[in-house]
Amino acid sequence: MERRRIRFVSGFVILAILMTVLFIINLMKGSADISARQVLNVLAGSDNTSSAYSIIFKIRLPRIIAAVFLGGALSVSGFLLQNFFNNPIAGPFVLGISSGAKLVVAFVMIFFLGRGIAVSSAGMITAAFTGSMISMGFILLISGRTRKMSMLIICGIMTGYICSAITDLAVAFADDSDIVNLHNWSMGTFSATDWEDIRVIVPVTSAALILTFFMSKPMGAYQLGEAYAENMGVNIRVFRLMLILMSSILSACVTAFAGPVSFVGVAVPHLVKNLFGTAKPIVIIPASFLGGAAFCLLCDLIARTVFAPVELSISTVTAVFGAPVVIWIMLHRDKSKGRV
Amino acid sequence: MSDNSVIKTEGLAVGYGRKIIADGIELHAHQGKIVTLIGPNGSGKSTILKSIAAQLRPIAGTVYIEGKAESSMKRQELARKLSVVMTERIEPELMTCGEVIESGRYPYTGRLGILSDNDRKKADEAMRLVRVSELRDADFSRISDGQRQRVMLAKAICQEPEVLVLDEPTSFLDIRHKLELLSILKNLVCEKQLAVVMSLHEIELARQISDTIVCIKNGKVDRSGTAEEIFRGDYICELYDIDNELIKSAEGAGLSESIYDINRTAQYICKGRHP
Repeated sequence: MERRRIRFVSGFVILAILMTVLFIINLMKGSADISARQVLNVLAGSDNTSSAYSIIFKIRLPRIIAAVFLGGALSVSGFLLQNFFNNPIAGPFVLGISSGAKLVVAFVMIFFLGRGIAVSSAGMITAAFTGSMISMGFILLISGRTRKMSMLIICGIMTGYICSAITDLAVAFADDSDIVNLHNWSMGTFSATDWEDIRVIVPVTSAALILTFFMSKPMGAYQLGEAYAENMGVNIRVFRLMLILMSSILSACVTAFAGPVSFVGVAVPHLVKNLFGTAKPIVIIPASFLGGAAFCLLCDLIARTVFAPVELSISTVTAVFGAPVVIWIMLHRDKSKGRV
Repeated sequence: MSDNSVIKTEGLAVGYGRKIIADGIELHAHQGKIVTLIGPNGSGKSTILKSIAAQLRPIAGTVYIEGKAESSMKRQELARKLSVVMTERIEPELMTCGEVIESGRYPYTGRLGILSDNDRKKADEAMRLVRVSELRDADFSRISDGQRQRVMLAKAICQEPEVLVLDEPTSFLDIRHKLELLSILKNLVCEKQLAVVMSLHEIELARQISDTIVCIKNGKVDRSGTAEEIFRGDYICELYDIDNELIKSAEGAGLSESIYDINRTAQYICKGRHP
């Protein structure tokens, strides 16, 4: 018991340190390097005139906060879906939910931008949420027919491709002026976030995350299977509905602001579960948030700096780190359970 | 309520949607007694148990726990009175057996499900009673099927129920683990004064462990009573549709031994039919 507690505490400490360090490095690194001392001065408020100040406050800080909250939201969303489908490689991207959101957002953007109307942050989230729910409905239909983990994933990936193809088509026919923005966004990036977005991202994801955290008790029971959970007093219908809503809101928020970001939802919860040696929701939900935040900070740092001034899409980087984890899970699972 | 049954069903009809699988089910389970449902596959035993455990809404009729209709009880209230052990294997991720057992405290913990000292004590006691204390830190996915069912039994006990519903708890187990699980169950029933309703495939074990046996056939209670009352004449052959033709063909295939020797009950029962 004591050993586990020590492991939990040290796990959280490691994640928190990782996140803080990456947070600061992200502030320092970029097309213009800013020293740690300058960063501290700016953050402490003693320097609010230099160019460092405007780079940090106008460009880097909103982007970093977006990476923290959206990365955290994405990996918690993945954890919820893994529990829901009892499938270790379920996640918003793998199941085509991000792509569904992307499709609807792209259509909404093209429709309104073409008429010279800017789409508000709330409008973007609503569009993304609608798209998420459509994809989710489709996946639920399939999961009602098959218990096979591989079928579910294949259908999700195919849904993703179909949605992406339609999105690409729509983008190809959009007005020239919008294409650049739309194209960047549809590849996934944190680059376009400003303070107005942050004012929507932080409250929405925080609210969803807090609600999710309070679902950790029924989620723990649900890990023993539906029948046992029900017998322990979980209202399965309400619980499943809440789980779907929360994971969709979280991933919709990410897609609305950063576009589809791949593999974070699968890889991070898995790594975190191994770090903590448990799948207990009450531990893994906050830990997934921290882990997702740190992971996205690292990936965004790489996306911004490695080939600067060329910026990579965030999915390019997350895929490089995330996809091998997914392959590893599949192989490991195949060996231990004899089924995929 | 004039009688002192813990579980009582009245005019119970069960099934999925509108499709009735079994009806006219009248069951009584008393404190410290075991009621066992036997009968052929597909006769509706599992459906009846699911309805008693309130996992399936009855199509008609009522299930009472201590005189109170289950349908009028809150989920938490019901969860403190009734717990289950199912046939299906579960595969929770990265959970120790201790954690699985502690999850039985669910109806007693607060919003976040954090265990109190009392909850831990109850879990320890359940582990001791079911003799799984040494498995506390073992990974649930790495223990044998027999151990798993014992852990699930401990989890069910940890829930401190009045009623225990077990759906073919011995299905996946070999004979040693069948005996082990059922003898632990029998002791628990005496010690904790539980009322047990379960289904079993092994009629010989059912005969020995049960206080009441209820025979389900084609969705009806075909017969019920003590073991002596049920295992009389060639009733069991009748229940499972073992007719002379099957006995002959079994003999022809060299399987008569299994009718006479391996399953002593069948031998005892089917004697009358043997030409």
